[in-house]
Amino acid sequence: MMNIETQAPLTVAGERTTGKNVRTQNVLAASSIANIVKSSLGPVGLDKMLVDDVGDVTVTNDGATILKLLDVEHPAAKVLCELADLQDQEVGDGTTSVVLIAAELLKNADQLAQMKIHPTSIISGYRLACKEAVRYMNENLTIPGGELGREVVINCAKTSMSSKIIGVDSELFSTMVVDAANAVKFVDGKGVAKYPIKSVNILKAHGKSAKESILVNGYAVNCTVASEAMPKKIVGAKIACLDFNLQKTKMKMGVHIVVENPENLEDIRRREIDITKERIAKIMAAGANVILTTGGIDDLNLKYFVEAGAMGVRRVLKRDLKRVAKATGATLCSTLANLEGEESFDSSLLGHAEEVVQERICDDELIFIKSPKVRSAASIILRGPTDVACDEMERSLHDALCVVKRVLESKSVVPGGGTVEAALSIFLENYATSVSSREQLAIAEFAHSLLVIPKTLAINAAQDATELVAKLRAFHNEAQCNPKRRDLKWTGLELTTGVVRDNKAAGVLEPTMIKSKSIKLATEAAITILRIDDLIKLYPERKEGKSYQDALNAGELDM
Amino acid sequence: MAAPVLVLNQNSKRESGRKVQLGNVNAAKTIADVIRTCLGPRSMLKMLMDPMGGIVMTNDGNAILREITVQHPAAKTMIEISRTQDEEVGDGTTSVIILAGEMMSAAQQFLEQKMHPTVIIAAYRKALDDMQDLLTQLSVEVDVTKNEEMRKIVKSAIGTKFINKWANLACDMAIKSVSTVAIENASTGRREIDIKRYAKVEKVPGGTLEDSEVLNGVMLNKDVTHPGMRRKIENPRILLLDCSLEYQKGESQTDLELSKDTDFEKILQMEEEHVKRVTNDIIKFKPDLVFTEKGISDLAQYFLAKANITAIRRVRKSDNNRIARACGGTVCSRTDEIREEDIGTGAGLFEIKKYGDEYFTFITKCKDPKACTILLRGASKDILMEVERNLQDAMQVARNVMVNPRLLPGGGAVEMAVAQLMREKSKSMTGVEQWPYRAVADSLEVIPRTLIQNCGASTIRTITALRAKHASDGNESWGVNGETGDIQDMKELDVWEPLSVKLQIYKTAMETAMLLLRIDDIVSGSKKAEGKEGTSAPAPTAQ
Repeated sequence: MMNIETQAPLTVAGERTTGKNVRTQNVLAASSIANIVKSSLGPVGLDKMLVDDVGDVTVTNDGATILKLLDVEHPAAKVLCELADLQDQEVGDGTTSVVLIAAELLKNADQLAQMKIHPTSIISGYRLACKEAVRYMNENLTIPGGELGREVVINCAKTSMSSKIIGVDSELFSTMVVDAANAVKFVDGKGVAKYPIKSVNILKAHGKSAKESILVNGYAVNCTVASEAMPKKIVGAKIACLDFNLQKTKMKMGVHIVVENPENLEDIRRREIDITKERIAKIMAAGANVILTTGGIDDLNLKYFVEAGAMGVRRVLKRDLKRVAKATGATLCSTLANLEGEESFDSSLLGHAEEVVQERICDDELIFIKSPKVRSAASIILRGPTDVACDEMERSLHDALCVVKRVLESKSVVPGGGTVEAALSIFLENYATSVSSREQLAIAEFAHSLLVIPKTLAINAAQDATELVAKLRAFHNEAQCNPKRRDLKWTGLELTTGVVRDNKAAGVLEPTMIKSKSIKLATEAAITILRIDDLIKLYPERKEGKSYQDALNAGELDM
Repeated sequence: MAAPVLVLNQNSKRESGRKVQLGNVNAAKTIADVIRTCLGPRSMLKMLMDPMGGIVMTNDGNAILREITVQHPAAKTMIEISRTQDEEVGDGTTSVIILAGEMMSAAQQFLEQKMHPTVIIAAYRKALDDMQDLLTQLSVEVDVTKNEEMRKIVKSAIGTKFINKWANLACDMAIKSVSTVAIENASTGRREIDIKRYAKVEKVPGGTLEDSEVLNGVMLNKDVTHPGMRRKIENPRILLLDCSLEYQKGESQTDLELSKDTDFEKILQMEEEHVKRVTNDIIKFKPDLVFTEKGISDLAQYFLAKANITAIRRVRKSDNNRIARACGGTVCSRTDEIREEDIGTGAGLFEIKKYGDEYFTFITKCKDPKACTILLRGASKDILMEVERNLQDAMQVARNVMVNPRLLPGGGAVEMAVAQLMREKSKSMTGVEQWPYRAVADSLEVIPRTLIQNCGASTIRTITALRAKHASDGNESWGVNGETGDIQDMKELDVWEPLSVKLQIYKTAMETAMLLLRIDDIVSGSKKAEGKEGTSAPAPTAQ
C-alpha cells in the first residue's frame, strides 16, 4: 500500500519546489551572486583572487571573469553568470553592474510578489520601465557626437580602467588604448568606420614595470627566427606568408612506388630534397626576405635562407599569420601551385613592412613587424611583476578597448559615476505616478532598483551611502523639475572624497551603448527568473537495484 | 522550511574582507622570512631536499623558492616575482622578496587603521615613481671598457655568494665570458649580449675550483668517433654539418621488390656509393675536423680516417652554433653545397682531454671567439651547481652594466639615501597619502637592517647611526659593511650595484604589493575556465 502513497499522479524522480518558495530561493541565489561581485564595482572597488582546483591563481576585477571561474550550482544563479558573460561578449564592459542591477530588480520584485501582485504584472511593469528608461536616457542624458573629441574618448577609457589594476596608470594606458584602436581602424564598404579591436594583439611578458608597457605600431609574433645565423633585423621587409611545410616532401599516406631499377630509388630520395629547395628558390627569386610559415622548416633548408640573408620563421600561429598578411598586404599561400599546374611564386603575393626585427623581451624573443604598408596595426606588450598581474592587465585593457570601440562607433556617451542611474530613478518615479494601472508599483520598484549602482559605489568607497544617494537624488530632481537648472543633470558621485559633482566636466564618461545594454539585459534576465514558478531538480540516474541504504530510507524495512 | 539555498559548489571555499587582506600580508611576510638570512656577504646557504631525495644547496633566492611548495595563493605570487626578477635581470632575487614582504607589512598597519586599500596603492604608486627618479639621480656613470671598474662591480655581486672565496677568479671569468659574447650590432648600434646561447657553463666534477677557467673557445662532452683519428690538431680547418653521413631512407614510403639476386647487391653498392660520394664532398675541402649534428656511419668514419680527418658526431645544435661562432664557420646542411667560406679557420688548437672517466673535446686558442665555454671544476656536483648559479648571477650583472653603465652604491646605502629623500618629501605632502608614502620610505631600510642582522651586529644602534649619517648632506654613499656590521662609505669599500637591477627590484616589489593589496576576496576550488567540473579536489586550505 505504501507504494501508492509515494507514487503521486505525476511521478518525478526528483525534488520539486513550487510557487513562492522557488521565487524566494531564486532571489536569494541571485543576491548572493551579486554580493560576491559587489565589492569590485567602481574606482575604489577591490579585486578577487580565485584559486582553481589545480591551484592556479587568477586575480581579477572583471565581473564576467569572476563569475565564469566560480563553480556556481544554483540554476538561477547560473542565469546571472550567463548574463555577465553575455554582456562581456556584446559590449565588453559593465559586467559587474549588469549583475548588480538584475539582482536588485529581482529582490524588489520578490517583495511585490509577496504583496500578492502577480508576477506577470510585475513583468509588464519592468518591461515598460526599461523601455521608458532607455528612451529617456537616449533623449536627455547623452552627450551627442558633435562634442566628441579625442579627449572624450580618452576619458571613457580612463573611466573603464579606473576600477582596475591599471587604474593608477590610467594616463598612460588610456592613450595607449585609444591609439591602438585608431591604428586598427578601417572604413568598410558602406563608409562606416569600424574598429576591429580583436586585431589589437596583446602580448604579455613579465618583468619591468606596468609603466613600461609599450604600444608597437605593427605586429608582434611570439616566435623566433629558425636559425641563429639569420639576420635579426631587416629593413624594407618583403614578407611571404606561407601555410605549408618547407620540409622534405613526403608522399601522402599509402602511396606505393614500385621501382624497377634500384637506381631510381636514389632519384626519389634526391627529388624529395630538391622539391623544397626549388620552392624556396622560387620564393627567394620573387624577392622575399622574410618568410613566415605555419609549418616547419627543415634544418636542411635553413642554409638557403641564411645565404640569401633572409629571415625564416617557423610555426607561426595561423591566426597571427592571417593578421600579418592582412596588415602587410601579403597573400597567405597554402600552395605554390598555379592554375597551369606548375609551381610559381609571384612577387605580388609578398607583403611589405618597413622593418622586421627580433627583439629580446624578458627572457624571450619576439619578432616585430613594424609599420606594415597596407594597414596600420597595433600590438600592445604588457609588462608587470607577475604573470597573474599581466593577465589581469590584459583583461582590463580588453574592457577598455571595447569601451573605446563603442564610443568611436556609436559616437554617444553618458556621464558615469551613478549619474545615469540616479537621473533615471527620479524620472521613472515621476513616470510611475502617471501610470494608472497595476504596473505603477513595478515601475516604482524598477526606479528604486537602479539606485543600487550609486549606493554600491559609495559603500565600496567607505562613504555614507544613504546621505550621498539622497543628495544625488535631490540634485537630479531639481534638474528634472526646474527647467532653469537643467545642467544639474550631469551630477554624479566623486568617490575619493565623497561629494557630488558635475561628472561631465570631470570627464567620467561611459559609452551610451554599455549603459542601455546593461539595463536591457538586466531587465531581461530578471524577467526570465521571475517567470519561474516551479523548479524540478531530477535526481541523478540511479543504478540498477536498490542498496540497503535506499531501502532503509524508503521505509521498506519497517514492514 | 528553511533549507539552505546552495549557490556555489560546496567544495569551493570563500574568504573575504579584512581577513583576506591580512592573510595576504602574512603570506608575503612568511615567504620573506624564509630567505631573509640569504642576504648579504654573511649570508648562509640553505639546503633543500626535493621529494625525490635530490639536494639543492644555494643562497640564491629564486633557486630556494622554486623548490618550495606553498598553498597560499598570495605566497605563490610572491614566489613568482623572484622568477621574474631572475629572468629580467638575473640578480637581486632575494632582495626583491624581502622588499615586497616589507612593503606588504608596512601596509598592514594602515589596513588595521581602516584605510582604504586604493588610497594605499595610490601612495605606493607615487612612491615608486619618486623612487625611480631618485635612483637615477643617485646613480653614477661608469666606464665599462676599464677592466678594473668592471671587476669592482662584479665583485660586489659575488660578495654575497658562495664563490666569494674565489672572488678574483670568478670576476675574471664573468667579465671575460661576457665581453667575449658581446657583439656590437653595426646596423642598430645596439649591444647584443646573449649569455644564454653563447656562454655555456660546463661542469666537470673533480679538481679544485681554482682549475676553473673561461676557454678561448668551446668545449664539448664528446670524443672522436674512430680511434685512428688524430686527437690533437693545431690550426684546424673546421667543417660544421647538420646532416648525417650515412645512408638515409627517403621520407616517402618506398617498397623494394627484388626479382634478381644481383639487384640486392646493387642496392648495397648504391648505399656504399652514397656514403662515398658524401665523404668525397667533404674530403675535397681538406678539413681537419668535421662536426656533425647527426650520425656518422662506420663506413664514412673509415673514409674520413683514411683522409686524415677527425670526425665528431651527434653534436648538439646549440654546441654546433657555438663552435660556428667561435671559429668563424657556417653550419652546412648538405655536403654537395659546401663552399670554401663555410670552413672555420679561426681556431688555434683542437685536442681531446680526459677528465676523470670521460673524454672532452676542446677547441681553443680561437682568434676572435664570439662564443665561449666556462669550464667549472670542483669537489662535488652540488657545489658545482651552486657555483654555476653564482656565476650566472655575476655574468648577468656584468651584462647589465655593459648595457646600462650606471651604478649605485650597494650595502644598503642607496636604500638609506632614497628613504631619507622620500621622508623629506613626505613632509610637504597633504592628505592621508603621506602616511603610506612615508611607510614605504621606512620599509626601504629593511635592506640595511637585514644586512646588519645577518652579520650579527646591533641592529638598532647601527641603523640609527646610519640614519644620522644620511641626515647630513654628502653622505649618500654611506652604508653597511656586511662583513663587520660597521657603517662605512661604500665608495671606499667599492661595493656597487647596477642601476638596472635596483630599479627592477623596486618596480617588481612595489607592483606586487599593489596587486596583492587590491585583493579582498579569495575563492578557492573554483572551476577551470573550460568547466572541468566534478573533479571535486579538496579545496586548498589557506595557511
